[in-house]
Amino acid sequence: MVKGLKILGLTAIVACGLSSQAFAQDKGCIALKSTAEVEQEVVNAKGEKSTKLVPLTKVVPGVEVIWTITANNICKQPSEKVSINDAVPEHMTYVANSAIGPGADIEFSVDGKTFAAADQLTVVESGASRKARADEYTAIRWNFKNSFAPGAQGFGRFRAILN
Amino acid sequence: MQSSRIFGAVAVTALAFGLGTNNANAVGAPAGTPINNTAQVDYTIGTVNTTASSNTVTVTVAEILDVVVTAQTPTVAVNAGDTQQEVRYRVTNTGNGSETFRLVMTSTIAGDQFDPIPATPSIYFDTDASGDLSPGDTPYVVGSNDPVLSADGFVTVLVVNSIPNWVVDTNIGFTRLTADSRTGTGVPGTTFVGQGVGGVDAVVGTTGADSEADSSYVVSGVSLTAAKSQTVVDQFGGARPVPGARINYSIVVNVTGSGSAINAVFSDNIPANTTYVPGTLRLNAAVLSDGADADAGDYSTTPAARVRVTLGNLTTASGPQTVTFAVVIN
Repeated sequence: MVKGLKILGLTAIVACGLSSQAFAQDKGCIALKSTAEVEQEVVNAKGEKSTKLVPLTKVVPGVEVIWTITANNICKQPSEKVSINDAVPEHMTYVANSAIGPGADIEFSVDGKTFAAADQLTVVESGASRKARADEYTAIRWNFKNSFAPGAQGFGRFRAILN
Repeated sequence: MQSSRIFGAVAVTALAFGLGTNNANAVGAPAGTPINNTAQVDYTIGTVNTTASSNTVTVTVAEILDVVVTAQTPTVAVNAGDTQQEVRYRVTNTGNGSETFRLVMTSTIAGDQFDPIPATPSIYFDTDASGDLSPGDTPYVVGSNDPVLSADGFVTVLVVNSIPNWVVDTNIGFTRLTADSRTGTGVPGTTFVGQGVGGVDAVVGTTGADSEADSSYVVSGVSLTAAKSQTVVDQFGGARPVPGARINYSIVVNVTGSGSAINAVFSDNIPANTTYVPGTLRLNAAVLSDGADADAGDYSTTPAARVRVTLGNLTTASGPQTVTFAVVIN
């Protein structure tokens, strides 16, 4: 997980902090929490600009929403083959290359059934097969390579723009 | 909490929030639409495969306030002293929800040669969709019949002015229509909490929720002058105006000014004590038959004997128009 955290740092994301708000949606071992946020520019006392993620209170067409799905192993035994699956919400368009997930292989789907890596996903158009465009993705899957130890947490994130 | 510390040291690059960076001036997801997201997770504990769902995140689409006014008749040709001259605009709700707009016109605008005089009333809806001011059009009364436009909806509006009588050819006078959202205007991103469609927040879009467009009245005066000349040919080989002598008339019509003379018609009575010579009517040397038929000219005896030639729409580009005909002295 230390390695994972480095990746996390490089890609400018937040994972911890959400966990304190997370709650167990079911009685299983993986508690899954979905969050919608936006980036907001903030200026500190020195006048330096930076951005932070803030919970989404409203959204208007054209705004980019950051969706984060956090999986937390709340049991005392490890969970294997953890796979998070999330749909690009209706009325939204996936932002190319925005999906991240430390320690996970990320796959996409156009039809919600067939998943493949971005460079291998194809669609058939007018009888010919071509590479799927990012704006055609309707679902994303994060397949975690390692098991989740008790208390361990992983997450997937992507951005989508409201049409 | 190590990852939390790492986060604090990291600057996020792309600024996505805010209206200035996106294409918010096109209708998108309708205001009030819920955007739902529920994720699933599959995992295995021992040999047991389990599927679970996350909470459902619901984000409601706020109303974006945007409007665009476009001038559909950017320049209108007028004459000095004209009254009730309309220019046409389209007011389009480019937001994502139904919105009421207020309309304001002005003709006091810098940079022109004259101020058109607003008529009373000065704003009409083109109710009968004729594209011009007509009896079926409804006057606009601010606060009374403010247009309510659905997302992507539009209304056609006429702004009406008179033209001062002192203006001269090629003078330009501006007039302007402004539309603003009744919910509110402001810098993009300004939020009116709970004031949008169905109680969602209303957010000012890239247009600032107001828009204006100018049109120009261009004084395009035109005048037609006719110069008539004659030659007399008597039956004795001379040029004496004696009974039986023939008079060949030539009338040259000239156009001056920047405008168009619409449906110009030349008409000339046959002089007293003369008789028109059948078949002599010409326009720019082209023969015109005497009957009232497809060609531009005709000869008639009622109510008075006369020749007439339809010249059509004339501008200075048309050049001189020459009409000729002949009579015989009785």
